[in-house]
Amino acid sequence: MSSAPEEHLRLQEIGVSFGNVNVIPSLDLSVRKGEMVAFLGPSGCGKTTTLRVIAGLNKPSQGRIIVGGRDITHLPIHDRDMGMVFQSYALFPHMNVSRNVAFGLQMRKVSGRDAEARAAQALEMVQLGHLSHRKPKELSGGQQQRVALARALVIEPSILLLDEPLSNLDAKLRDEMRVQIRALQQQSGITAVFVTHDQVEALSMCDRVVVMRGGNVEQFGTPTEVYERPATAFVANFVGRTNRLKGRITSEGVLTAAGQQLRSATTLAPGAVDVLVRPHRIRLQETADAANEVQGTVSSITFIGDLVQYGVRVDDEEVVVEEATRRDRRPLAVSDKVTLGWSAEDTLVYPAGEK
Amino acid sequence: MEIHKTSWPMRILVFVLFIYLLAPVILVFPLSFSGDQVLRFPPTFWSTRWYSALFANNQMLKAFWTSLSLAAIVTVLSIVIAVPAAWVMTRLRFAGRDLLFNLFTAPLLLPTIVLGLAILIVFASFGLLATMQGLVFAHLVVTLPYALRVLAVSLSTQDKACEEAARTLGAKPLTVFFRITVPMLVPGIVAAAALCFLVSFDEVVITLFLTGPRISTLPVELYNYVYNQADPLVAAASALLILLTLGVIMIVERAMGLGKAFVK
Repeated sequence: MSSAPEEHLRLQEIGVSFGNVNVIPSLDLSVRKGEMVAFLGPSGCGKTTTLRVIAGLNKPSQGRIIVGGRDITHLPIHDRDMGMVFQSYALFPHMNVSRNVAFGLQMRKVSGRDAEARAAQALEMVQLGHLSHRKPKELSGGQQQRVALARALVIEPSILLLDEPLSNLDAKLRDEMRVQIRALQQQSGITAVFVTHDQVEALSMCDRVVVMRGGNVEQFGTPTEVYERPATAFVANFVGRTNRLKGRITSEGVLTAAGQQLRSATTLAPGAVDVLVRPHRIRLQETADAANEVQGTVSSITFIGDLVQYGVRVDDEEVVVEEATRRDRRPLAVSDKVTLGWSAEDTLVYPAGEK
Repeated sequence: MEIHKTSWPMRILVFVLFIYLLAPVILVFPLSFSGDQVLRFPPTFWSTRWYSALFANNQMLKAFWTSLSLAAIVTVLSIVIAVPAAWVMTRLRFAGRDLLFNLFTAPLLLPTIVLGLAILIVFASFGLLATMQGLVFAHLVVTLPYALRVLAVSLSTQDKACEEAARTLGAKPLTVFFRITVPMLVPGIVAAAALCFLVSFDEVVITLFLTGPRISTLPVELYNYVYNQADPLVAAASALLILLTLGVIMIVERAMGLGKAFVK
């Protein structure tokens, strides 16, 4: 897989404006064949707009879209060969499930019997073969979602585009569909772009993640890279949660925060900085091999079941620490003195004020 | 709908309002079975003579068929014109779109007497007075705004993602229109058609200017009839018209439920 990954989709200096508002200034992106890429970001970050530009539903004001070496920037929507799953599913209410799925094949002039057989096969693939004669409104949300997926996949599109496909499902169904969509994508080896504002979806389902903000790419990397080595404080905050401490780097290059010297794997120019540490990377009490060690007082305890969340007052800042619940230690109580410890790699440093 | 929670004073108020609105309509039915020479309530004795007189009145029957075919033609034309027009108004963005929409629906606000006069003046010079074509054109002026309004509302509440999905699946714009947009619009089309039919069938003011001895519609004939004599024949005709209206509404109700057709 990793040897010579072939590029399938390329966005080149794509810009989008709605009226006078420049939604996407200039975006470059390259997606490999067969990989699933997530566009992750808060609402209004341009992720859906970018997806719609690929589908042809929005026109870019500049730039080029290249799929499989071919420039499709000016190709009409119906010639682009994209399979799109909409947030609202957008099933045709006046057609039954089987006709919904066969629609794309009919448009491709596949003969009636062939289209029917392939639609049936696609429905089997999403385990809905038995509901082919139902109307969309007679299906549950999860079933509609799977019909939409079958309809997009049956045409064997050049790219599968998914626009927040799981946001209308309840939590349990969402987990199931995550697994199923990923499995279908890997089986068919199709290149897919997945738009979401949910970091769990992005990290768990996709090969690579594009973190977007304000129409710009903040970081493009594997889920591990994005989580462990966030390129900006925004990425660190948006992908997973984090503590933020005010600090500074002296002219000698020494990092101080929470009233003491800290060690970090990142180096930065002297000045005011923000120090970010993820709550579950902080150890309580057991600080034998921790590069950084600070003293604090427990100020709040929240029991969540599999996790306990402690608020710890350090210097004059509040640090959140998360631990798996355990029985082998006396539970902490409010106003206990504790020692917090974490590694240099978990100490992320960014220029101060970067949001 | 939580009717059982409505307070008593409210129920009485609604009841009174309904009586106020419906009393004249309900009165028409006993009046139509009057045996008297003149319109008078209550009738002194009952008979069906005015129904017989109505069905023996050739002028009335002719006017009825004129009205029926006129309403049918006007309805079909209104839908055929208003569906693409409403699509353009709701789906495309262009300068002056709102202005155009308001212009098209303006006849709804104009006093019909003004419209009638204007149409009379224009049609006179084209020789369209007292012709079927003239009546069709004149009624279209009145029905098109209704059709456009109803269809534009239906179209703007329709999920555009369905059209977009069809496009991404390989359908050309015209295919999307006929295979997705129009079928999804059927409830709106039925509602608009019923409205156009009833509006055209009922139209009096404008039609008065355009009819003559050669061609006349039922409402105009009834108007002329009442002008000359006040016997219960008009009550019999009114009773039948009410039943026809109910019939149209029931067809709509059967087709998709009134709420769905007119509200959304």
